Amino acid sequence: MSQFVQEKRSISPLFWLPFGAGGMLSALFGPALILITGILAPTGFLLPQSFESYDHARAFAQNPLGKLVLLAIIALFLWHGAERIFLTLKDMKAGPLLNLKYATYGVAAAVTVVTVLLLLAVGF
Amino acid sequence: MSERRPYRRPMSPTWWANPPYRAYTLRELTGVAVAIYGLVLFFGLVCLALGPGAYDGYLAFLRSPFSIVLHLLLLAAMVYHVVTWFETLPKTQPKLIVDGKPFPAKKMTDIAIKVGAGCSLVLLLIAIWVGR
Repeated sequence: MSQFVQEKRSISPLFWLPFGAGGMLSALFGPALILITGILAPTGFLLPQSFESYDHARAFAQNPLGKLVLLAIIALFLWHGAERIFLTLKDMKAGPLLNLKYATYGVAAAVTVVTVLLLLAVGF
Repeated sequence: MSERRPYRRPMSPTWWANPPYRAYTLRELTGVAVAIYGLVLFFGLVCLALGPGAYDGYLAFLRSPFSIVLHLLLLAAMVYHVVTWFETLPKTQPKLIVDGKPFPAKKMTDIAIKVGAGCSLVLLLIAIWVGR
C-alpha cells in the first residue's frame, strides 16, 4: 500500500479563518466604525469631539471587554487585508513569494503581537 | 523527469487591470482599505500607550483634512466590501434548501446586506446615544 504517498498538507486553511472572521466583522460593523472614529467624532458632527478624548479612549482600552474589541478589530482587519493583498500580489507575480508573505502576513502577525503588548501596557 | 509540455495561455502583465479581471481586482483591493483602517486604530493605540501628548497628536491627525478625506475613501471602499462580501456569501455557503427548493443566491445576498447595514446602523445609534 506504499504506492499512496501522503500529500503534504497545506497550512492555508489556518489563514482562512482570520480572513473570514475579519471579512465578516468588517462587513457587519466596518462602515459604522469608520464613520464614528474617523469622521463623526473628529469633526464633532452628531458626536462630541470628546467622544474619543484621551480619558475616554484610555477607559475603553483598560476595560477587559474594550481590550477584546480593540484586539479583534485591529488583528482581524489586518489578517483579512493581508490574505487579500497576498493572494492578489501572488496572482500579479509581484515578487518572490517569501517577500510577499513577510510584507502581508508578517505585518499582520507583528501588529497582532504589538497590539496584545500595548493592551497589557495600558493597564486594567 | 516529466515530458509534459502543457500549453500555457499567454497573459499580459497587466491582466488584472482589464475586464473581466478588473472587478475581481477591485474587490480584493477593499482588503487594503480594511487593513489601513486597522492600522489607523493600531496607531491610535500606540499613541494612547505613549501618553496624553502623543495621543493629542493622534487626535490632531484625525481632525486634519487629509484624515477626513482618507476616511471618506475608506468608507466608500468599506461599503463596496460589504456588498461584494455578501455577494460571495452564497457561493461559500453549503447549499441551503428551504421547503425542498434551493434558496436563491440573490435573496441570500439581499438579506445579508440588510443584516450588515442593520448592524452598522445599530452600532452608530449606540455611539450617538452614548456620546450624548
